[in-house]
Amino acid sequence: MSVTDDPEEATLLERIQDDPGPAMRWLAGALLLFALEAGAVVNFVTGLFGPGMELPTLLSRELIPNNGFQTPAGVWKETFLGLSPAVAWGIRVALVYVYAIVCTWWLWRGYLVFREHYRYADWTPRDDMIDRLRGHRWGQFGAVIVFAFVIMAMFAPALGPTTVERTIQDPYSYTVDYYDENGELANVTVGQANLGARSQGTPDQNVGVMQYDEYGRFHPFGTLPSGKDMFTFMAAGARVSLFIGLLSIGLSGFIAASFALLTAYYKGLVDLAVVITGDSIMSLPRLLFVMLLSVVLADTWIAGIYSGGLLLALIFAATGWPILWRAVRGPAFQIAEQEWIDAAKSFGQKPRITMQKHMAPYILGYLLVYSSMSLGGIIIGVAGLSFLGLGVSAPTPEWGRAIDIGQSYVTTTSWHISFIPGILIVLVVTAFNALGDGIRDAIDPQSEGGEGEGSEAVAAGGGGA
Amino acid sequence: MSRWQYFGKRLLLSVPVLVFGASITFLVIRAGPLDPVSAIIGPQGDPQAYNRIREQLGLNEPLWRQYIDYMVDLFTFQLGESWVVQPERDVYSLLASYAPRTIWLGFWSVLIAVFIGIPLGFYAGLNPNTFSDYLASFGGIVWRAMPNFWLAVILMSVLSQSQSLFGFSWQNWLYETNVTGPPPLPGDLVTLLTSPDHFFPALKKIAPAAIVLGSASMGNEMRIGRTAVLETVNSNFIETAKAKGVPPRSLVWKHIFRNALIPLVPIITGEAFLLIGGSVLVETVFNISGIGYLFFQGIQNGDMPLVGSLMFVFILLVVVINIVQDLLYTIIDPRVGYDGGA
Repeated sequence: MSVTDDPEEATLLERIQDDPGPAMRWLAGALLLFALEAGAVVNFVTGLFGPGMELPTLLSRELIPNNGFQTPAGVWKETFLGLSPAVAWGIRVALVYVYAIVCTWWLWRGYLVFREHYRYADWTPRDDMIDRLRGHRWGQFGAVIVFAFVIMAMFAPALGPTTVERTIQDPYSYTVDYYDENGELANVTVGQANLGARSQGTPDQNVGVMQYDEYGRFHPFGTLPSGKDMFTFMAAGARVSLFIGLLSIGLSGFIAASFALLTAYYKGLVDLAVVITGDSIMSLPRLLFVMLLSVVLADTWIAGIYSGGLLLALIFAATGWPILWRAVRGPAFQIAEQEWIDAAKSFGQKPRITMQKHMAPYILGYLLVYSSMSLGGIIIGVAGLSFLGLGVSAPTPEWGRAIDIGQSYVTTTSWHISFIPGILIVLVVTAFNALGDGIRDAIDPQSEGGEGEGSEAVAAGGGGA
Repeated sequence: MSRWQYFGKRLLLSVPVLVFGASITFLVIRAGPLDPVSAIIGPQGDPQAYNRIREQLGLNEPLWRQYIDYMVDLFTFQLGESWVVQPERDVYSLLASYAPRTIWLGFWSVLIAVFIGIPLGFYAGLNPNTFSDYLASFGGIVWRAMPNFWLAVILMSVLSQSQSLFGFSWQNWLYETNVTGPPPLPGDLVTLLTSPDHFFPALKKIAPAAIVLGSASMGNEMRIGRTAVLETVNSNFIETAKAKGVPPRSLVWKHIFRNALIPLVPIITGEAFLLIGGSVLVETVFNISGIGYLFFQGIQNGDMPLVGSLMFVFILLVVVINIVQDLLYTIIDPRVGYDGGA
């Protein structure tokens, strides 16, 4: 029972109404998965308007607590099932990632269901792209690491062995229980406990990777010189980096695509104007100009939002769009030469529609490739700024600041402070580059090592940070 | 279009870029909330002195007036004087004392990157899909993704502790130098280049910083060198040369090597961007008081003329390098069209 007679004209909704079975089954699974984490979403949304509402959630620290204390007999109290904090924390991390993997797999299933039951065409070029990506091991490596990084950023509050608020922002308002030397249950503020858990580069003043401090707290990445838990710091820092990276790439990608379409469609004077503007911005040394802007605008109201994260994202977007625009300008000009664009013009189609429907889809792939590659550069740039003490202001965690803090401990027992953030940056940036490579080979198998290499190199370099 | 017409067009197009770049800089430093006066007199300065200094510096003039003065000064190369970092010192004399260290650093970072990155990339491209190719390619990719400042921190710490870590003292090796600090450059270039006692300590001192600063470009050169060689090896004219019986040695050197160099030109010139930007971080870590360090000081202290003039110098440098790159391109590869892109 079709609503319209011509099956080609039916919208997705109508096609689903025709055969609701598979879609409903998929939706039921999706709702179930969402229900497990609904509490976190509700908490986040209500948190925007006041104190967040607490609901039981599968992946919360309340359900699988890892903070407890050890009795003199060696039994752990208040932790999940009486397990040691390390194991409890490990279970929570594993659960978070299992949940994320299941969700992703379910989304993929959703796409397959759509492909099988609801898509009108049996085959589209996109199927081939996905097949090529499936055989691209290097791109998959990138995708896996990027996935792990994104999940780390998304689930940062649940992943850390403790919370940012407890250990970094307000350590003297929270307490931990522990048994002191006399075998008595004692109570001490987190701030004081942190003083006893400092990593200062000497063997007796160090809490290294995967170690407990003397208050029975587990530190997967060790502690900072101030005794604060470093994994919590890193997870929260991943969130800041990802936020800045995604927002600035989104904005500059949008500007770049609009300009590329406009200049390719109208050419002439519009093109010249954008070329000169873009060249001027690109002739400013990016990192230095970003520094200048972040110092100049440091006292404005916009720098107060998200500890300067929003400002940095805007600065990186404003200075980064010409690089992306350069990368998609060529493809956009090629598309503009095609016959179907001419046909659309003489058909009397509005320019905006022509650009949106007939040109944009072709440059989107390239945009994705270069965005993925520049994202790594932005992450490095942001870390470099916070290394110098600019950009994201303390106490909001940022990876570059950890490198700065640990500078003098690199060759001591507290080597982890500088080393781990650096390794993570290398991994994440390599992964974004690999993902970009994979997408490029998937959308355009002939392009391997084509002309785009030059701008690609600039995009991936992070402006020298 | 002849080569000279093309050159003229390129020059003409760079003028608006320069003007626009300088204007953006003006907008940021003068129209923004940057306040050099309170940096000069400190937070407790009295309002009268504040206003007097503002008047003296010409900050009470209308903005368009300041803009015209600023642009005229820059384009007649009157770079002015520093206000805060080193008060009343000419920017030219500041440049003369800070720039040599940065130039020395940049020179070696380009050279080291070129002489390690390109041969490795070519080697990998000539032996594709072998273990050493994978090792070199993977190394290049990871090397490229490393943040300069982190590499600098690690290298600096390891080198200063090399005695206790490896039983080999970097500080006392060949010449006695500290790991950090500016390189010991003599007053004039001739002494530096002719006397080994000056040349080698200065080189040894700058080497770690230069390796760090060149790291990203080195990875790029390697990757692109590899793909360029692979592409050239598989092209038709190499097949023809092989069929004609050209000996392998001359095939590699004369036909493959020279053609594979072409796509590397923009990468090498593009290093200039990375060097200018990266110099701030590397110079800060290694405590080399060069241009990047000076610029950073200028920004932090709100030293408007210093920052503006340095920015202008950087823009000029980038524009000139871009023109040189395009010219080089047309000379090396005559197939590159003169009217392709602005």
